[in-house]
Amino acid sequence: MKGSCLCGAVVFEAEAQAGGLRIGLCSCRSCRKAHAAPFNAYASVPRENFRWLQGEDRVQTYKSSPGKNRHFCSICGSQLVAEHPGEPDLLLRVALLDEDPGTRPVEQIFRSHEVSWLAWEGDIKRFDEWPSGRT
Amino acid sequence: MKGSCLCGAVVYEAEAPGLLIGHCSCRTCRKAHAAPFTATARVPRDKFKWLAGADKLRAFESSPGKNRHFCAICGSHLVAERPAEPHVILRVATLDEDPGVKPVVHIWRSHEMPWLAYEGDIKRFDEWPLGR
Repeated sequence: MKGSCLCGAVVFEAEAQAGGLRIGLCSCRSCRKAHAAPFNAYASVPRENFRWLQGEDRVQTYKSSPGKNRHFCSICGSQLVAEHPGEPDLLLRVALLDEDPGTRPVEQIFRSHEVSWLAWEGDIKRFDEWPSGRT
Repeated sequence: MKGSCLCGAVVYEAEAPGLLIGHCSCRTCRKAHAAPFTATARVPRDKFKWLAGADKLRAFESSPGKNRHFCAICGSHLVAERPAEPHVILRVATLDEDPGVKPVVHIWRSHEMPWLAYEGDIKRFDEWPLGR
């Protein structure tokens, strides 16, 4: 399946291992800060199952901890993949997929890092779009 | 309260008593943040200031007149804004201090993707599952 960043400059293709993409959600502090979001959705794919189709020269890298590289689009700032050099797998940022991988998230990790002001469960008003009457 | 990007190059201060925090699952936020949704809150421009690293910011215009500002070193998105509007839209996940309020709305749920389903039957761990 294919995925792309917000601006469309970077496009990638990834193929899941047998059994399908195993998707997890990560609430760790580094993912919160890197994504500026309550949690990230990731999945491992073998390096040989991943390739850049377009825009590899736009990819910029930040080392968020020793040996962990987070790659993002230098034009729009979308996080693209993370990886530890030397490890056989890459960590996809599943929210960038443009096609349904057919699997669903199975786990959420590092919930102990969650902060109260990003709570997403419980008493929150939920809207399909934008609340009517708001500007 | 203060906030910062992942690498720490960009630091800001925002003052907003009664901050209204809302989650947004729109397609543009999903792609910009590479996440199921982001958390945002409006802050009046005169209550927001960059404390460090303003020269490290890069902007992307995601729709006409809407600029999303991110750290050019680590990619963290920090604020979005429309130049004509009197407020900036803070990316609340970058705050380093508790604003003392919790999210009250969640918008654009119709844009959510089935492969990012975050509710329901998912194994939840405080840290990392043992044995992995």
